[in-house]
Amino acid sequence: MRSNLRWLLLPALLLPLGWLLFVNIGADPRTIPSQIICRSLPAFSLTTLDGDTFTDADLAGRPAVINFWASWCGPCVAEHPVLLDVASVAGGSVQLVGVVYQDRPASAAGWLRRYGDGGWPDLVDDGNLALDFGVTGPPETYFVDADGIVRDRVVGPLTTQSMRDGLHEIGVDLS
Amino acid sequence: MKRLAVPVVLVAAVLGVGLVAFLAAPSAPTSGAAAAAGIAADLRCPDCQSLSVAESRTAASAAIRAEIVAQLDAGRTPDEVRQHFVDRYGAWILLRPALPLAWIAPLLALAAGVAWLGWWISDRRTRPLPPAPPAPDAATRRRLADEAEALDA
Repeated sequence: MRSNLRWLLLPALLLPLGWLLFVNIGADPRTIPSQIICRSLPAFSLTTLDGDTFTDADLAGRPAVINFWASWCGPCVAEHPVLLDVASVAGGSVQLVGVVYQDRPASAAGWLRRYGDGGWPDLVDDGNLALDFGVTGPPETYFVDADGIVRDRVVGPLTTQSMRDGLHEIGVDLS
Repeated sequence: MKRLAVPVVLVAAVLGVGLVAFLAAPSAPTSGAAAAAGIAADLRCPDCQSLSVAESRTAASAAIRAEIVAQLDAGRTPDEVRQHFVDRYGAWILLRPALPLAWIAPLLALAAGVAWLGWWISDRRTRPLPPAPPAPDAATRRRLADEAEALDA
């Protein structure tokens, strides 16, 4: 009986280790799970590059795509055409919002002149909105549904497919 | 019972060392600036690698340091301030795990391994020898002697 107990101890130690290995074997250690998914959009009131005030209330009742970017961010150049494409076909079905992350407004405005200004509001963040979203670095994009609930996040540059998937999560299907 | 003495002593020693290390950890600072610095040292810089918020010079870390001071000034405890950032970034933001389980689990695994090894060794020592094979009978002894003589010839 004692001998049987002793040999049961070995699988009792190895099984939890094996389970941890099995669960995490396919996980990307660089991906940090977002805490804001399925939570409400944080309250904010920020100034746009055009000098207007933009608040979370301006997004009420409308799906939104919130894109954190910066003029010093290389991958932001790669994803910008995807955002411009959506802006050109979305009409009023979805609100695009840019958030300038750790950047000078003049540099951000110059970047838009160079790569194309889609006409959506670009907010100048004092750092707190990025903290509230749990942003780890640009580009990061959040998809918010019409009820103001954050439904999806894309870390890194958007692709046509990831944009389409994110929009689908918030009930927007563009043809 | 004596057979269990060695593993029990080893397990107690390992757990004792872990407990002493846990109790000897520095206690929380009392002044506001020291508390803010302590919290910043416990938080991971969100847009750098292997740096705390206290060490990093990025704007994100500066914003976090400012938020820490603002929250402490608003009367929140250091634990509440840490939780504020955990709510936004998850436990990933903590450079030190909040639950002592992460520290204790390796000690427990080590203690269990030592116990298993001690049990295995003590069991081998005290295990009775296998019974000796029966002595050969007279006919077998005579046959063996004959075969040995034939080999020597």
